[in-house]
Amino acid sequence: MCFKNLPIEFDSAGNATLKPGAADPYLYTETPVQTPIEDDPDKMRELLERNGHVRRVDFDPVTRVAGALAFHTVVDLDNREVLETASMATLFRGYEIILQGRDPRDAIFISSRACGVCGGVHATASALAVEQAFGIAPPPMGVVARNLLLSIEYLYDHPIHLGLLAGPDFSEPAMRDTNPEIWEKALSTRTQRREIHGYEFMSELMTDLTPLTGKLYLEALHYTRVAREAYVLIGGKYPHPQTVVPGGVSTTIDTSDLNEIMLRMVQYFDYGRKVIAVWDDITDFFYEVNPKYRDIGTRPKSMLEPGQWDDPYAYDGTFENMDDWARQRWAPPGVIVDGEMVTTSAKMLNAGVEEFVEHAFYEEWVGNTSGPSGSYPFPTDPSGNPLSPYHPWNKQTIPKPGGTSWKEKYSWATAPRWDRQTMETGAYARIWAAAQAPTFRGSRFIEPTGKSLKVDLPKAELPNDLVEWKVPETWGAFERNRGRAYSIIYTCGIAYDNLLLAYDLLRKGGPDAKMSVPYKVPKDHRIGMGLWSAGRGYLTHHLEIDNGVIENYQILTPSTWMASPKDPFGNPGPYEEAIMSTPLLENYEKPEDFKGIDVLRALRSFDPCMPCTTHIHTDHRTISREVVTCACGAEGDHAH
Amino acid sequence: MRVLVGGVGYRYLRDNALGLHISDSFADRATNGIEIEDLGYHPIGFTQNLQDRPPYDRIILVSAIVRGREPGTVKAYRWEHELPPVEEIQDCVSESVTGVISLDNLLIVTEAFGAFPEDVWVVEVEPADESWGDGFSPEIQAKLPEIEETVWNLTKL
Repeated sequence: MCFKNLPIEFDSAGNATLKPGAADPYLYTETPVQTPIEDDPDKMRELLERNGHVRRVDFDPVTRVAGALAFHTVVDLDNREVLETASMATLFRGYEIILQGRDPRDAIFISSRACGVCGGVHATASALAVEQAFGIAPPPMGVVARNLLLSIEYLYDHPIHLGLLAGPDFSEPAMRDTNPEIWEKALSTRTQRREIHGYEFMSELMTDLTPLTGKLYLEALHYTRVAREAYVLIGGKYPHPQTVVPGGVSTTIDTSDLNEIMLRMVQYFDYGRKVIAVWDDITDFFYEVNPKYRDIGTRPKSMLEPGQWDDPYAYDGTFENMDDWARQRWAPPGVIVDGEMVTTSAKMLNAGVEEFVEHAFYEEWVGNTSGPSGSYPFPTDPSGNPLSPYHPWNKQTIPKPGGTSWKEKYSWATAPRWDRQTMETGAYARIWAAAQAPTFRGSRFIEPTGKSLKVDLPKAELPNDLVEWKVPETWGAFERNRGRAYSIIYTCGIAYDNLLLAYDLLRKGGPDAKMSVPYKVPKDHRIGMGLWSAGRGYLTHHLEIDNGVIENYQILTPSTWMASPKDPFGNPGPYEEAIMSTPLLENYEKPEDFKGIDVLRALRSFDPCMPCTTHIHTDHRTISREVVTCACGAEGDHAH
Repeated sequence: MRVLVGGVGYRYLRDNALGLHISDSFADRATNGIEIEDLGYHPIGFTQNLQDRPPYDRIILVSAIVRGREPGTVKAYRWEHELPPVEEIQDCVSESVTGVISLDNLLIVTEAFGAFPEDVWVVEVEPADESWGDGFSPEIQAKLPEIEETVWNLTKL
């Protein structure tokens, strides 16, 4: 029984059904948002009388993240705590509207444009959704080529996050600026992993994290090039591949291509080990300096991972067999609630998803459907499992631009929830699910233990010590970054496995070595879904087609989950929740010196990627690229 | 003589696709040392590609960009190789690796990493419509011959 909030129960055979008796089982009563401090004069006065260091700090925009994110806080600088948070996605994405009425094959190329990093993942999730609707699946080589393409994409993505976006928060300039006492300590603290990364003192490591000049920063930039060179051998172009099609990949691969990929991939075997050593040392150092660093960005260990990298002999594209083929992926699906794996069923993961818009700039769609009261297009999935009216297959995207109000609407992100609970997602959720999924048996280079994930790659230049990521006891920003570092080696294990499979398929030849299958666009009514996590976490595409064109298309991205505003049940989104629990450990004497480094470290540990559309006309209303600013006029604004 | 004409912008965003329209429509003119490239990808990638190639004698970048001028205004100028403060360069790199494509970002990132030749020209056009869709606004459509002629004339060293 994986659901505790949704009205779903399971019979003795394990089939999900709606709990009997409720006339409108998904009905809920909205919990009003607590009055924002700035809107409550009594509360504000009380706080100011008690403490003159309460102030509003807005991070608008949050820099070194992808896209437009603004983050509002009210902080108590004396007590070093955050009193109030609000996460704002400040751009409208709108791909759902763009895709309506188009040929479903266009979705692969158009939805790829939703992200400038994860274009290949969007294209692939879209291809899976189309394949499910069309009733086709690629031959084994087509699946292996897709696996290779996407693993290479993550080898681009992980170094970007660690070296270029999160890393500078721990660099010498940042340390000198925000915690000079820790910098002083770093000058005399020896690292624990010098034999791997080469740094004797923590200060040397931090100096090399410095933007533009640091060797670790520049090395991360270099590895984006290596991955991109490998990527284009299959995808043709980065970040928007030209070769991902329904039923496979529209290019050929020969031994020479595979050799070229191999030459680049093996460079990550050592680089991955080095990055792990760097982030293990950073994490250990900060925990040693002050154990409260464990609480930066902490929130419940609740996360979800839809899985990716299909078994070429298991994936058949069908919804009916989705639980089976998804469990055989190199990264299995999993939903983890408070540190416990509650399901590895892709269908239950799907059935538990809802999106709410009480605090987002969209109109409610439930109740818009014609027919009897309470009816909606898909009360069940194709296997008969109950679906909510708030599920993506039932969702309509109806933009409703308006002013910002912390009590009402303040973000272009919806509030996705699983079983009506706040969930995060990320590369760390992927290795967590792989470590704990009871149905996951590992692969040639990867071994799950239930409490850890071991990766044993062939030797490159560094000793081929087995790498082991352990499920962390505490959860927060440092563990997110550490998990991301281990994900490089985990991804290498999958990429290398698939490369060897590709060599084998080429050698054998025959129908299994074909790259794609022929198909026809069906003219009848169909639905499909594609689940394939991005480097930074959860991604699903839900599709409905009729008469050969798209009726409805819904994309749910990792940052929609994590940047989400509050839900109708009063729960904050993951960023909001994590920042509320972040202690302010920065060294400041006067409030005006406060820079918010701990808040920024926590935010960036999620690797925010705000959707990338900048302009769109909808229903004669222009939504422009203006950063949404707060209407509240509290003193002490401190923009970053 | 090696000359590169690069179109900068986003597809499907009407006038914002101007640079890519130029690189598409000039593709068959890639001869006699003139190369045409779709620069609808991130500037770090472009920088790294330039570092791998033999140096160009001239690079010409074409893009629509909002400067607050009359829509359709065409301006061609030589890049002065000036850089903003370091913090701004860092932000440009972050935007670049996370997928932002813009003329200013491209100029700053490529300059910061020393990948430009001495002779860089920019042809920028004030857009009228950057909303979703194919095709150009009437203002840009009317200026296409002038824009193409301006770009092509710059290829003649």
